[in-house]
Amino acid sequence: MLNTVAVNLRAIFRDRVFHGIVVVALLFLLIPSVSSLSMRQVTELSITLALSLLSLILLLLSISLGATSLWKDIERRYTYSVLSLPLSRSAYLVGKFVAVALFLLLATLVLGAVACCMIWLASGIYPADRPIVWMNLVLCIAADLLKYVMLVAYAFLFSTVSTSFFLPIFGTISVFLAGNASQQAYDYVHSPLATTLSPVVKQAASVLYYLLPNFSAFNLRINAIYGIPLSMKAVVLPLMYFCIYTTLLVILATVIFTRREMK
Amino acid sequence: MHAIEFDKLSKVFQGKKKVTVNALNSLSLQVDQGEVFGFLGPNGAGKSTSIKILLGLIGSTAGTARIMGVDVTEKTARSQVGFLPENPSFYDFLTGEEYLRFVGKSFNMSAADISVRGSEVLNRLDLWEARKRPIRGYSKGMVQRLGLAQTLIHDPAVYVLDEPMSGLDPIGRALVKDIIRELKERGKTVFFSTHITADVEAVCDRVGVINKGVLLAVDTVSGVLERGVEGYTVRLFKPDGASEECVVAKADLQDFIEKSIAQRCSIERVEPKRKDMEAFFLEMVSPKQTS
Repeated sequence: MLNTVAVNLRAIFRDRVFHGIVVVALLFLLIPSVSSLSMRQVTELSITLALSLLSLILLLLSISLGATSLWKDIERRYTYSVLSLPLSRSAYLVGKFVAVALFLLLATLVLGAVACCMIWLASGIYPADRPIVWMNLVLCIAADLLKYVMLVAYAFLFSTVSTSFFLPIFGTISVFLAGNASQQAYDYVHSPLATTLSPVVKQAASVLYYLLPNFSAFNLRINAIYGIPLSMKAVVLPLMYFCIYTTLLVILATVIFTRREMK
Repeated sequence: MHAIEFDKLSKVFQGKKKVTVNALNSLSLQVDQGEVFGFLGPNGAGKSTSIKILLGLIGSTAGTARIMGVDVTEKTARSQVGFLPENPSFYDFLTGEEYLRFVGKSFNMSAADISVRGSEVLNRLDLWEARKRPIRGYSKGMVQRLGLAQTLIHDPAVYVLDEPMSGLDPIGRALVKDIIRELKERGKTVFFSTHITADVEAVCDRVGVINKGVLLAVDTVSGVLERGVEGYTVRLFKPDGASEECVVAKADLQDFIEKSIAQRCSIERVEPKRKDMEAFFLEMVSPKQTS
């Protein structure tokens, strides 16, 4: 499987997407000057901008790499030559997934470091009222990474059942939007404000809430921006949620892909 | 133990609107070790479907297939196979050398072996100069030759080649035929599909003809050619010095020669006039047309 991971990482580094991301990452350099436009909360704004830009880049990477990685192999008929090697379908699929996840990790480490440098520069020029809690910032970035790796698992799942790029790309975008709204929708449906909703709708909302990913669990931005202490529970529970949910998605994708016919 | 074995293999594809296509119908076939077997059939006959099942790319609806005694549903069945797909496509962001390294590692070859064997096959397939160029810059013929190189690198016992000559110029075709002959000399098994009868005639020990998913015939190439003798062309010189070429039926040859000698004619040449592999193939796949 390591062989598959290595060759897929090489594919990503030689892809145009990688070069595009490097160009977009240059926007990080603008953060201190853009943050200075806020006269009062320069540090907070720089953290917000840095985290948002990092999140946007990871989202673009997750969709572009996750949703097209498998599809490209099938579309360009690489699968005929690769899957005829003594390599199990599961090793092939998991290898590809690990390669994308590793690349996201690498991108997060590099861009996260650049983001922290920019935040440090901005805070040095305009000191904040509250000190920056760097650990919160690191945990917030790590949680974002987990969210996007989970999204990649969804993209792979869609790729295993689809014959075109349509479902993997738009399905993944839909899951991203739904995953970010699922907690709010659930809270609303079970709040006193939703008394007019029928029990069937409430039940359906609950089922969807448990089926769809809950990306709100990975949102630690408020803690990072305002230096609000993080509880152990707020870190460990999302991590466990990520491990279980992503594992299930990858297993499901592997089962489907193993049965898929390479016509 | 057979190198390749199909046992009552069937494949039904489900099309749109519940239309079913019988791509393979109870195919039973054995290919012995050390044999070069040509799998001949027109387009859409079921050749590639059989090969895809053999390589685990698609599953069979019924029946089994084995490579060196191992069921093809096991990934270990593929560890003794070098496979060249039809119109091959390889990771084009890699160079030829990198791709061979990837394949070698997939077969658990050591780095040293990959380096040695890689150099050998790249040279043999005339790709040494292009080894550091990305595959996306290769011509169709070069990709086909790289495809053959990646089947050779781990020196497997069984070679499955799907239309190995397609996209190659005459020099490339001759090279592939030479390689197949070399493999035969080294006791390797080669199973290759084609619709070009001359290729089968040139390198195969046995041939199987498939059409519409049904295996119509399996025979030795020499047997087909011998049985195909329809008569003889006899060139003789008459006593007055004039030369003549006569076509003589197979059964009449003996009488004809005796009569000619009695008439003091000298026989210069006797050539068998035979049906070639193409005639045999056409007879199999479209008997009405040929009759």
